[in-house]
Amino acid sequence: MNVACDWAFPLVWAQQSELDSIPWLKWIIVLAVVFFGIFPGIVAYTVWGERKVAARFQDRIGPNRVGPLGLLQPIADAIKLITKEDLVPRSADRWVHLIAPVLILVSAFLVLPVIPFGVGLAAVNPPSGLIYLIAVSSLSALGIFLAGWSSRNKYSLLGAMRAVAQLVSYEVPQVLSIVPIILWAGSLSMVTIFDKQVLYGWFLFSPPGMLAFVTLTIANIAEVNRTPFDLPEAESEIIAGYHTEYSGMRFGLFFLAEYLSVFAVSCLGTAIFLGGGTLPWPLTGEPVVTLGGGETLFAMLLLNLPLIGIFMAKVSLYIFLMFWIRATLPRLRVDQLMAFAWKFMVPLCIINIFISAVWYECVIRPSKPNYLLGWGVTLPLVVVSIIGVLALYRSSMKAEPVELTTGSRRRSVVRSVS
Amino acid sequence: MSTPTITRPEWSTVIDPVLQKELEQHVLVTSWDKMLGMVDTVYNWGRRSSLWPLGFGLACCAIEMICTASSRFDIARFGAEVFRGSPRQADVMIVSGTVTKTMMPMIARLYDQMPEPKYVMAMGACASGGGPFKEGYNVVSGIDKYLPVDVYIPGCPPTPQALLNGLIMLQRKIDGERFTQAPWYRGDVERDVPIPVLGPDLIDVRLLEVTAEKTAQGLVEAREETLVKPTLIPAPQPEVPEVVEAVSDAPVAPKAPSKLDLLRAQAAGTAAPAAAEGTEPAKPAAKPAGKPAKKVKKAIARPSLVWLGDAGLEELAARINTRFSDGTATIIQAGLLIPSERLVAVCHYLRDDNLIKYDYLASLQSVHFEDCIEVNYHLESTTTPGKLIQLRVRTSEKEGEGEVPSVNAIWRGADFQEREVYDMMGIRFTGHPELKRILMWDGYAYWPLRKDFLEPYYEGPTKVFESRVEDGRHFRSEEFNPYGSNTKIPKDYTGWNTLDSGDDTKGKTLLPTGVEISELGTDQFMVSMGPQHPSTHGVFRMNLRVDGETIVGLKPVMGYMHRNHEKIGERNTFLMNFPFTDRLDYLTSMGNNFGYALAIEQLMGDEAKPPERAEYIRIIMAELTRVASHMWSIGFLLNDLGAFFTPALYAIEERELILDLFEWASGSRMMCNYFRFGGVAFDLPKGWIERCRGLVNNRLDGKIDELDRYLTKNEIVIDRAKGIGVLTAKEAINFSTAGPILRASGVEYDVRRAAPYGIYDRFDFKVVTGKNGDVYDRYLVRLEEMRESVKILKQACRDIPEGPILPGKKSYQIKVPAGEAYSRVENPKGELGYYVYADGSGTAYRYHVRSPSFINLTSLEQMCLGHSIADVVGILGSLDIVLGEVDR
Ligand code: SF4
Repeated sequence: MNVACDWAFPLVWAQQSELDSIPWLKWIIVLAVVFFGIFPGIVAYTVWGERKVAARFQDRIGPNRVGPLGLLQPIADAIKLITKEDLVPRSADRWVHLIAPVLILVSAFLVLPVIPFGVGLAAVNPPSGLIYLIAVSSLSALGIFLAGWSSRNKYSLLGAMRAVAQLVSYEVPQVLSIVPIILWAGSLSMVTIFDKQVLYGWFLFSPPGMLAFVTLTIANIAEVNRTPFDLPEAESEIIAGYHTEYSGMRFGLFFLAEYLSVFAVSCLGTAIFLGGGTLPWPLTGEPVVTLGGGETLFAMLLLNLPLIGIFMAKVSLYIFLMFWIRATLPRLRVDQLMAFAWKFMVPLCIINIFISAVWYECVIRPSKPNYLLGWGVTLPLVVVSIIGVLALYRSSMKAEPVELTTGSRRRSVVRSVS
Repeated sequence: MSTPTITRPEWSTVIDPVLQKELEQHVLVTSWDKMLGMVDTVYNWGRRSSLWPLGFGLACCAIEMICTASSRFDIARFGAEVFRGSPRQADVMIVSGTVTKTMMPMIARLYDQMPEPKYVMAMGACASGGGPFKEGYNVVSGIDKYLPVDVYIPGCPPTPQALLNGLIMLQRKIDGERFTQAPWYRGDVERDVPIPVLGPDLIDVRLLEVTAEKTAQGLVEAREETLVKPTLIPAPQPEVPEVVEAVSDAPVAPKAPSKLDLLRAQAAGTAAPAAAEGTEPAKPAAKPAGKPAKKVKKAIARPSLVWLGDAGLEELAARINTRFSDGTATIIQAGLLIPSERLVAVCHYLRDDNLIKYDYLASLQSVHFEDCIEVNYHLESTTTPGKLIQLRVRTSEKEGEGEVPSVNAIWRGADFQEREVYDMMGIRFTGHPELKRILMWDGYAYWPLRKDFLEPYYEGPTKVFESRVEDGRHFRSEEFNPYGSNTKIPKDYTGWNTLDSGDDTKGKTLLPTGVEISELGTDQFMVSMGPQHPSTHGVFRMNLRVDGETIVGLKPVMGYMHRNHEKIGERNTFLMNFPFTDRLDYLTSMGNNFGYALAIEQLMGDEAKPPERAEYIRIIMAELTRVASHMWSIGFLLNDLGAFFTPALYAIEERELILDLFEWASGSRMMCNYFRFGGVAFDLPKGWIERCRGLVNNRLDGKIDELDRYLTKNEIVIDRAKGIGVLTAKEAINFSTAGPILRASGVEYDVRRAAPYGIYDRFDFKVVTGKNGDVYDRYLVRLEEMRESVKILKQACRDIPEGPILPGKKSYQIKVPAGEAYSRVENPKGELGYYVYADGSGTAYRYHVRSPSFINLTSLEQMCLGHSIADVVGILGSLDIVLGEVDR
């Protein structure tokens, strides 16, 4: 690796060398630029994108006065939010109130370093990247809870209660649907997972992979509190949920954090299921296979530019999917949400782990992968398990009238006491 | 202007924005000032481009505000579509609608909770200065009495375009602001507004001392001495031949050219007693001894157009008399007078044992007569509909003495209606479980619908008030009122130092009591949902007691939009009242017009029989209204269930097309004011009916199918709506629910069929009913009803004949015979009834609206208990209330 390369890929360098002071500095500078410049920028335009997309879904135009196509809208919003008065309610727990949004934002940021955006473009590559990722992303639950608790507002509290219940519940299917990947890649390192996909093609392309991808997506949407799982901030029920009492930039931080985590989970989904920046099946491993190998700056650029481009395209699609769902679906109720997580998602994910073991046996472990056998065996299994779990779930929800009669029993209690 | 309006004192320099822009563009930074100028540009640009409105709407104007966010107008273009539910995150408060006294403390509080820099836009005539409802006793004459307003948007309601224009104006204003002079960064400028208090009236704490002083002087009472008061008439008596001679037109004002001067002097608080002396003749005028009472034309005595009939009533009276003791039922003006001590027994009999089971309390209202207050009940049977009867109960007229047994135990639908009568007339209903004021607040000093209660801005029994027209000059009501505002406090009020800005006078008396649900020993807590809440469809409030998220207690709190429709209606001449009916349920103005027209037409008899074409036009308008209203309601139900506006906006699109038709025919999108007694105001313009046909035949069906396709089978909608908020048929009837709510519970009761009005009997349509009476069925019923409406529309558009649209010439002088009428129409929200008691003068003696939204709410508590907060929102959405009609 030559010197120029150091400047261009200090990230790569940083993790490989023993970090003496000057590269350290460069590393930090680049990190700062990427993390405080590019990511917030991406997030800001995600917000813009959402407003535009939602507008189109609703047969409207969306922002178009502030800059061409409304492109300056996020900047205006940022200026407005920054200059806005920052209120802390009188009876709020001041310090907790102030720290909570930062905590959430940090948690969203911390997810990003382990994402391999391209070859050698992961800020850090800890061997247990996935575990780390799950650990830091669950930090946001704490932040949300603190925000709701410290505000001394009943709606905030309700939002916080909902958020904690929801985030904790959906973390389980989220983790469980990552397990097949760990199984197949034989590693927790995000970079290794990426490399394996260059080798074997996207992990999505297998029946258990698809199922895991779907469950992960659902769990992701729940983790970032978006419709139909946006209960913690359900506008029509509890005003703005846990951030009801936040104003100005502190509210802006919540906004930022929310969209940052949207971006983060999209990156996660892309990295572990959609093969990062690689192209799909007939072109398995492209463009890494063709362009990879070079060590020069030029070669690295040549490889990484398309990689990042494709990666971002996938991320955009993933985010668009979330927008789409948001623009079309109503919201679940708390009990339905929990039932869905525990009675449907978790069993399905667990079954899927077994199915992916079958896939592993058929396709990944043998030196000559037998795709036909893999599909032939796992596809029926997946279909059967989905149908089975769904039927079980349905029948458990069929019990709802029973629950309602308990509801009316309750009502009669209510009446007799009052 | 004599009354102080609050302005922001801090803006000293006004720079021509154009000039400033010019400067900013062409001058290089050469000094600190210019540098600051550039900062200003960026600062202002950021704020102007990102104005997030507070998502709260007060009244009719709010509907137009929502429309501004819809696809046709799209406020999002300006980056202002981010309606925030929390004041903490909002930049501009759009005060969209009538500011009532009950709501004012809440608005002030919301304003204080908004972070700086914050702006206020007064949208519509009401928010700017009181608007059409200014004379109401519960209306604040413009939000600028309390908050600093940045932009006023005229109109009633302002069209969405006008609101957008207002937004642009606000942006211009922001462009002229300077970072360095911004008051919100200065510690010395106090920008919070003190929160007014609900005491005996709404009291501005800034003026507390002056108010107390003026009250002690008794200026109000002194002024009222000088005014011509409304005449009370005696209650009708059974002796039919001996016709009660109702006093005709309003007594002539004493010939006192000095009256205005006098009033002005009065307002100034000078020489009041002396002046009062001079107008003593006003008093005798109330009882015109010398004037021979004109023989007033009397309307046919019948409670409603479709009713039991004279013979049936006599037979029923005889039966009651034999069953109970003689004299239990006396027929007066086709109604049964029942002595109050036997009321409950008779009602039981009528509900359970009578041949026709009167299981449905249609309406309950009261009339203040000279010698008594009469409470009357309209009963209907859902099993044999069309047999309406009217009961009367009379009680003492004296303030605070009236007492009537409550029929709440027989028809739970009486709950709110009795509370309303209590609130308005001061009659106590013995046996009512929770007799608290419902529209006003406990502690309000008066019983506003008593004939002897004069509003603070009262000038005479009939509009147009003299002060508006005398000598071509005009005066503002404020100038006559001693307080200079819409305030009236009894002279002997003393509790001044008990008034507390932090007090929630209206809500705190209605807290649900604790209930143990025998599960975990968890703590319960109280949540106040509303009056400013994204899902309460206006300024409605629920006090919830929740255990976790489970509702264990719920008390609706309403009256935040009580703008005194009935009192104002008694001052209006009959014709003048039309535009006010528009503003009841502001989503269905045509339907409201219809009901009101029918009531007066019933009194006027054949003289006001609409010609054929007018009948068809009426049906077309009413059914279009139904489609528009149901569209809106389904869209917003989905919103309440958590959909992110998409269904609502698609529904609004269709509604806009219908509004276009309305605007074309009547001149206004929302407030159509289109019906007249005996017809409609204008003939349909050329091409209208073709366009309507196009819409009806080619578009609406498809759009309804579209809604059906996307929503009906949606897994989440089904999960969220099925089995939620169940009301059995029996309960639904007992609670007097109406419209889609009643029918969703499986009761086939539709006024269009049960008591056909207009020419509904000619059309082929189905009365849609549901089975389970849950949120889902209500949704389905509405959906199907739209289909039926389209069916009716197709027939009507096909058959509409040419011809006149009014029976006679257009006339502004309506002579309405004395009598009593109750008309009912099947409005989209349910049975809308108008009760009118006319005394032969130019105004209604008593005017009452049986509002479906209001009465449907009676069942809310029952439906919500045991469900979760999310469900409450859905249930409320499925009730489809409109606050203009709930609170009137
Ligand atoms: S009456 Fe209604 S439409 Fe008119 S200004 Fe007032 S709130 Fe707006």
